[in-house]
Amino acid sequence: MKKLYSNKLVIFSLVLPGVLVFVFGVLSPICLSVYYGFTDSTGMGEAHLIGLRNYMDLFHDRVFGRSLKNSLFLAIGFICIQHPLAILVAAVLDKLQGKAEGFFRCIYFIPNVISVAVIAYLWKFIYNPDFGLLNHVLQAFGYQGQINWLSQENAIWSVLIVLIWHGFGWGMLIYYTGIKNIDPIFYEAASIDGASWWTTFLRVTVPLMKPVIQINVTMAVISALKQMETVYLLTNGGPSNSTQFAANYLYQQAFKAFKYGYGNAIGVVFVIICVLATVGLNRIFREQQDV
Amino acid sequence: MKKKRMAVILSAVMTAAILIGCGEAGSTRKDAAGSGQTSASSEDAVTIKIFSNLPDRKNGQGLVEQMIIDEYMAANQNVTIEVEALDEEAYKTKFKAYAMDGMPDVVSIWGQPSFLDEVLDAGVLAELQEEDYTDYGFIAGSLDGFKKDGKLYGLPRNTDIMLIYYNQKMFEDNGWTVPATYNELLDLCGKIKDAGIIPVAMDGGDGWPMACFLTDILVKVAGTEYADIVSRAVATGDFTAPEIQEATQILVNSASVGMFQMGYDSQDYGTTMNLFTNGQAAMYCMGSWDCSMALNQDIAPEIRDNIRAFTMPVVEGGKAGANDIAAWNGGGYAVSANSPVKEEAIKFLNFMYQPDKLSKYGWENGVGLSAQDQTAYLTGNETELQKQVMDILKDATSISGTPINDCGPSAFKTSIESEIQGVSNGSTSVEDFLAAIGAACN
Amino acid sequence: MKKNNRNIAKVFMWIVLLIVAVIQLFPLIWLVDFSLGSSNEMFTNGLLIIPEKIRWDNYGKAFVDGNFLHYFRNSVLINTLAVVLVVIISIMAAFACQRMKWKMSGLVSTVLVMGMMIPIHATLLPNYKIYHMLHLTDTIWALLIPYAAFSLPQGMFLMTGFIQSIPMELEEAAVVDGCGIYRIVFQIITPLLRPSIATVAIMTFLNNWNEFMMASTYLSSPKWKTLPFSVLEFTGEYSSNYAVQFAVMALTAAPAVIVYIILNKHITKGVAMGAVKG
Repeated sequence: MKKLYSNKLVIFSLVLPGVLVFVFGVLSPICLSVYYGFTDSTGMGEAHLIGLRNYMDLFHDRVFGRSLKNSLFLAIGFICIQHPLAILVAAVLDKLQGKAEGFFRCIYFIPNVISVAVIAYLWKFIYNPDFGLLNHVLQAFGYQGQINWLSQENAIWSVLIVLIWHGFGWGMLIYYTGIKNIDPIFYEAASIDGASWWTTFLRVTVPLMKPVIQINVTMAVISALKQMETVYLLTNGGPSNSTQFAANYLYQQAFKAFKYGYGNAIGVVFVIICVLATVGLNRIFREQQDV
Repeated sequence: MKKKRMAVILSAVMTAAILIGCGEAGSTRKDAAGSGQTSASSEDAVTIKIFSNLPDRKNGQGLVEQMIIDEYMAANQNVTIEVEALDEEAYKTKFKAYAMDGMPDVVSIWGQPSFLDEVLDAGVLAELQEEDYTDYGFIAGSLDGFKKDGKLYGLPRNTDIMLIYYNQKMFEDNGWTVPATYNELLDLCGKIKDAGIIPVAMDGGDGWPMACFLTDILVKVAGTEYADIVSRAVATGDFTAPEIQEATQILVNSASVGMFQMGYDSQDYGTTMNLFTNGQAAMYCMGSWDCSMALNQDIAPEIRDNIRAFTMPVVEGGKAGANDIAAWNGGGYAVSANSPVKEEAIKFLNFMYQPDKLSKYGWENGVGLSAQDQTAYLTGNETELQKQVMDILKDATSISGTPINDCGPSAFKTSIESEIQGVSNGSTSVEDFLAAIGAACN
Repeated sequence: MKKNNRNIAKVFMWIVLLIVAVIQLFPLIWLVDFSLGSSNEMFTNGLLIIPEKIRWDNYGKAFVDGNFLHYFRNSVLINTLAVVLVVIISIMAAFACQRMKWKMSGLVSTVLVMGMMIPIHATLLPNYKIYHMLHLTDTIWALLIPYAAFSLPQGMFLMTGFIQSIPMELEEAAVVDGCGIYRIVFQIITPLLRPSIATVAIMTFLNNWNEFMMASTYLSSPKWKTLPFSVLEFTGEYSSNYAVQFAVMALTAAPAVIVYIILNKHITKGVAMGAVKG
């Protein structure tokens, strides 16, 4: 058995496809990005090595700073708005028995399976101040004014709303599964103590869900950093870069401004930030668990 | 009911076929891409890939382009033409990606520094022989933007004039009149707003139409010095010339008093145009290529038949008169230098530019003005809008040339088209705006 | 008194759930509603319209002019291939790293899983160059490679966990019977992994079915274009007709929604399993 299980050739043949896909699909593009990040390439013709200049420029780039701030904003928005809502709804749903439970769970998840392309276009219409759904809804409730949902100040909030709406079912489902996995003994103990539903939720459900919450928080930060497609289609970073994100910005710089080298430098920094964020969050949470 | 509609569609197709003068015009783009050629022609099958910025293949310029493509394929059985068409913004982005590595055979281009400079430096467009086109009737100077070092790399499609379209019936019903000065325009906008209607529909989400609007104001402020002022600013990165400051300030003031629809700085081309064509807005600021609205069957006739246009009114104290207009030869076509079917692609290009093709069909389909002499195709059946535009050009005392956003490198274009949203909506000051776009020139 | 309280709580509970359900669903109802009207009915006031005439031909246009079947077929084909690739590769690699004895197993496994941290969009620019060099732009590979590469880490991670939970005894018995490694992997382990395969497949499918950026950057001819990309193209083509635009959006969303509603239980279970573990 041992011999069979340490046959180098077999191991090699089993691992090779995976490694190939990784090298070809992930590693080599990143390496190429690192190279181009040091050049003044326009994407066409000759490129010259210019050392760290792209990175120096990036350091002073107002728009890139804005992109990172926007990611932070989204992450906080997810954590402070989407996730509390999702846990709460999951807990309420857990109380519900029978068919209705499955029905609601099904409905909540539907936006998640719809393409971002459709979602973004749909919300463009929903946000339109003149004939959009949202202002019509406000009118139906008696509000007379018009709200400019995608204005310089509001746009980032509007982007957040779309993302919360789109991803709500996912977060909810994960919390729901987590809650289902809680041992009923804890609830029985709580009810013997005469705790109300709300107290039980705060004192029993939430603390026991800590590992799930941690996973979800990490996911929220990462997805806020990686945000691109919704913004690309909904606002394309506008008005005036107020909804700019790193991924969208690198795309614009490379394919609109002909700064291919600079775009790649953004890509490299972008990768580093994502890796640092993931590793950092995991470490923080692990330390907490150890305490 | 369904049958009736089918009949309407069929008869429309047939009319088109007769117009074009060939029996096989019914084949559409998709058929062409899907079914392949089954002709018994002895020549080798050739596939020409066209990348176009005209996604609407049933109206206006896109229809004209498609008509010529269908005609060419019918006449040359061995040739298949595949079209990829994207909206202007998406087009320009993808074009640049293509320019980096291998382009389709025939592409839409703009004869402007922001678009062509880097592309020509990289040598990705095929050189054309200027002497081949002496009989094509190109308007004097219209080829200039498409040249580098005296060599020609593309051909212009239109003469573009910046216009403010308006709904004549709406104007008459409310007793509004076409403004002669910019202050009158502002007053008019106030009245229109009070009537609960959007004064001017502006595609501010894309940035470039607003930059064209700024160009138009700047032309009125600076007069014939416009081109010099802009090229000096681009060369030095210093945009603090008083004319530019004044024009920007006028734009900012106009936006702040509500000249444009709410949310103009986030709305795209289609949305903006639809505001106007659905009677939600009284005016619409766009180039003359949208004259085809007057023939677009998707637009209700009571609006379609009442679309008229005027040019930017004079600015008080400005150096330009009413007939100094913002116009240029922008859009056009070119052939890829590395195209495997370069010969055939150039043949097709030349076919398109035969005076009785792009120019004539364009005129018949109500698309603004071509870059070629169109006088031979006047039928007397032109739409009112077409006649107006023709007169505007005929009466013009000076023509501005390239709009400001297209005068610099593409990094400058990217910057100004984004920053102009911020300055117009008041979140950036005029000084910061001018400094930011100046910085992008270096 | 207590009972009364509980009833109030129950009503409250229902109200909350219903409000959330309405928020999640109403935009979609709005979409379908307006897709059946005519374009200028968009500009009426009020939340929903009762179209003057129900215009099914909007969907006809969307279906025919939008080349729906062709793009749908592409989407299905590309995604299925990506799923199959990810599942097979991740089972093989996870087995080798988890069960077999070699020095680098830990390192390789970590590296493959680490890919999860890399944002897919960072590879947009360099891959564009690479694919062009290898003449892969505008081919199915231009989508398959990134889709597989960026779903593999997750697949690998999940499979490693699942394989871990399979008792060794089965394999030992198989070895005694004279099975080779390949037979063990594909005939003994793989069938046992059925629920995990479903999870990986669902996660991969959900990740890639709606992907848009890669498709719009690497593809040019209609040959391999996928559904999400076709929306962008179509809205440009019908920019002056909102109703038809809405119809094409509804049509694009429909397959995934229908499949989801039918397989809802399995999908929820799969996602829950994958997400909690991941």
